[in-house]
Amino acid sequence: MNLKTEVLIIGGGATGAGIARDLSLRGIPCLLVEKGDFLSGASGRNHGLFHSGGRYVVADPEAARECIAENRILRKIASRCVEETDGLFISLPEDGLDFRDRFVRACEEAAIPARLLSQDEALSLEPGLNPDLKSAVAVPDGSIDPFELVLENAGDAEAHGATFLLHTEVTSLLLDGDRVKAVVAKDLLRGEEYRIEASYLVNATGAWADRFLRLAGLHIAMALSKGSMLVTNQRVSHRVINRCRPPSDGDIIVPNHTVSILGTTSIRLEEIEHLEITPPEVSLLIREASRMVPAIETTRFIRAYAGVRPLFLSGEEGGDRAISRGFVLIDHEKRDGIRNLITVTGGKLVTYRLMAEKASDLVCQKMGINHPSVTHTKPLPGAGQRAGLKERLKTLGQGEILCDCELVRREEAEEVFREGKLKNPLDILHRTRLAKGTCQGAFCVYRLLGLLNESGKIRGDSNTILKGFLEERWKGIRPVLWGTSVREEELIESIYKGIFNL
Amino acid sequence: MDERTWPNNNTDVCIRCAACMAVCPVSRVTPLFPGPKQTGPGAQRFRKPGDPSVDEWIDLCIGCRLCDLACSSGVPISELNLIARAKYLDEKKRPLRDWLLTHSYLFSRVASFFSPITNFLFKNRGVRWMADLLLKIDRRRELPVYESPTFRQWFGGHRSTGEKKIAYFYGCYINTNEVDVGKAAVQVLEANGLEVFLPPQECCGLPMLGNGDFEGARKMGLKNVPSLLQAIRSGSEIIFSSTSCGEMIKHEYNRLLAIPGAEEVAPHLFDLFEYLRKLKESGNLNLRLKELPIRAAYFAPCHLRSLGIGLPALDILRLIPGLHIENIDADCCGLGGTFGFKKEKYEISQEIGKDLKEAIDRLNPEAVLTDCEGCRMQIRHLTGLKVLHPVQLLRDALT
Repeated sequence: MNLKTEVLIIGGGATGAGIARDLSLRGIPCLLVEKGDFLSGASGRNHGLFHSGGRYVVADPEAARECIAENRILRKIASRCVEETDGLFISLPEDGLDFRDRFVRACEEAAIPARLLSQDEALSLEPGLNPDLKSAVAVPDGSIDPFELVLENAGDAEAHGATFLLHTEVTSLLLDGDRVKAVVAKDLLRGEEYRIEASYLVNATGAWADRFLRLAGLHIAMALSKGSMLVTNQRVSHRVINRCRPPSDGDIIVPNHTVSILGTTSIRLEEIEHLEITPPEVSLLIREASRMVPAIETTRFIRAYAGVRPLFLSGEEGGDRAISRGFVLIDHEKRDGIRNLITVTGGKLVTYRLMAEKASDLVCQKMGINHPSVTHTKPLPGAGQRAGLKERLKTLGQGEILCDCELVRREEAEEVFREGKLKNPLDILHRTRLAKGTCQGAFCVYRLLGLLNESGKIRGDSNTILKGFLEERWKGIRPVLWGTSVREEELIESIYKGIFNL
Repeated sequence: MDERTWPNNNTDVCIRCAACMAVCPVSRVTPLFPGPKQTGPGAQRFRKPGDPSVDEWIDLCIGCRLCDLACSSGVPISELNLIARAKYLDEKKRPLRDWLLTHSYLFSRVASFFSPITNFLFKNRGVRWMADLLLKIDRRRELPVYESPTFRQWFGGHRSTGEKKIAYFYGCYINTNEVDVGKAAVQVLEANGLEVFLPPQECCGLPMLGNGDFEGARKMGLKNVPSLLQAIRSGSEIIFSSTSCGEMIKHEYNRLLAIPGAEEVAPHLFDLFEYLRKLKESGNLNLRLKELPIRAAYFAPCHLRSLGIGLPALDILRLIPGLHIENIDADCCGLGGTFGFKKEKYEISQEIGKDLKEAIDRLNPEAVLTDCEGCRMQIRHLTGLKVLHPVQLLRDALT
């Protein structure tokens, strides 16, 4: 099948979806191709920390400035995706106070509002903190739901004319002199092949940026760094907790919806597809995070996952933690002589909009048109609505609940099916909170299967679909399987083996 | 109470098995109550300090504690519900009705003194209509009948003798509304060589706790515990004949209300029949019982079940020659203390009681026996049968 578009975006993460929205709001037609579902890369595999910039302010003030500026914008335009929790950078006795003083000064210079709190003040805000802490600095950190964010961007882009091809991988680039003439892409689920002609291409593939460029015979130097995270059964704090020390492993705890997410590790990788979370990583995260919140030692974990940071190497020395979290925008016309190709990678989830704006600006510049971006002032469709724990809890007792743990109503899932955009039933996990709670879907995926059957939209062998869900579930549970989780797992195993005969 | 592990972390041990959902009498009859797994450990994950309560369904928890019994992981579900209900009602503000229903101990002596007038008013259709209209106390529910003199007044004129002293926590309802149960308990204990005395006592506070009034309940506990401690320290054990009062003092005083000294009281506090069963096991029970050719049915109250002592009344009643007694196979009568008096809950209360009524109808007994005054009220209401405390029948069998 032949397709034609003005701008072809490759990558359905926050950046790609952000670019699709930015361009379509400027009236520029675009098509986005993604080899998995939206958020299959780092956008869906981070701790959901809505950075104030504090984490980078000492080592990388420029990245920190970008963070705080975008933090302010997203609070307005993406209010449904952001929980304004605030964050504390706590100093433990072993951290000393030198870094803290530098931190406070750097926040001042970067215009990040920071307030020094005494031990008592910090403990009264967060009683679960290590009582030995020396002080804390409060900054406007928060938590962000990357799934909501990307889906709202994509939805708004679509409403303004953008189109999407999910589960479709670009397999080759057809070059014609100094430009990419067309790309060949393949639908990985249905096998269909597309030949897509586009005037301009934006490589927004994040950690896969170099891999994609190789299709055009190009290369950029990237450091692929794995970050693993653990999910607790319940929140262990209601504010983001950071160690007030140079960024290191296991020094962030982010409250996200019903859970807290402990992160992260940083391990250099060559492989980016199948990420394993190792026992030493799990132990390290628990050991470090429980220095900040001691109850973590005995709390229950429900999942572990890992993502790959797309870090761009610009030549400096130092560990991966020292590489800039700022983003890069590469005009391959200047760098490699390919006129209609640009790459945007690196950066943080919180700066996705800025990355999209700058990439779209470059596209416009190449097109020779002057349409300014409006995404910094135009709210996303869900803005104005608040989604908090309280709002979610209100749904209890109002109609049929599909997912008991996360209180996802039947209608929510039905709505997703009605839209008819799910190519793979598993993708519902990116579109609702379904299966993200205590039982990780054990007691709702079989209910979901009934719905799928009724909807008639998904065909295929139900056992295969069920196994798909269970394997996805098992992958995340296995690294944190001890204590209560084992007891629950035994029950669930006997249900699926005994009743479903799997 | 270890604040680090309670109550937040305990909900982490929930394995989502839903055994509690299978025993909850309320969620069985109405979709308005999401059930223990959801309102307890489930909702706990969504509660955030500082957020106002949105638990509109929480007031439908009947407080039976059957969920706690069913839980394989030891999640204190009913406690979580009580705490959540207290917060919800604190914010929403309680109606005057709830105050009246939970503070009957304040005016019960007056009601008892003027019992002919009280009872005339309580039975009067017009008064019940008004109570329904103004207070939302359901007019279909019979109001308690008051008696005079009170149990305590009767006991004042009674000289108890025996070889060993035993304290009796009789509870409000026995004192002013079912004096004969108290008399029967005293007679049975005396027939077993025990000298009964009544330590100073107030309402146990369960009605307040059940209505989310922790402060009020705690106040009652703080009055009762020192008096009970004194009885224990003088070498006596304490008996209760109302399983709900017993459950409250034995479990909630210490666990939920953290009343100083409650921990010391608990091991010396016994259900009346649990105590008689102990006597039997040590060969000290008075077994001179006459024949009672009656067909009776016994119902085990929820709070007796949560005491975890088996069915001691049934064990003892089976010693009465000629008595044909059967255990009623049903869960929760549906009254739930003050729950079933409330207009908005009456229908739910009746629906829960349906199973029990049908089970009793099948047995067709001459009398129904049960240890809890709430269950007795509800069974009378459901069936119109004669309903007694088991100790009344045992007293009748004494020679």
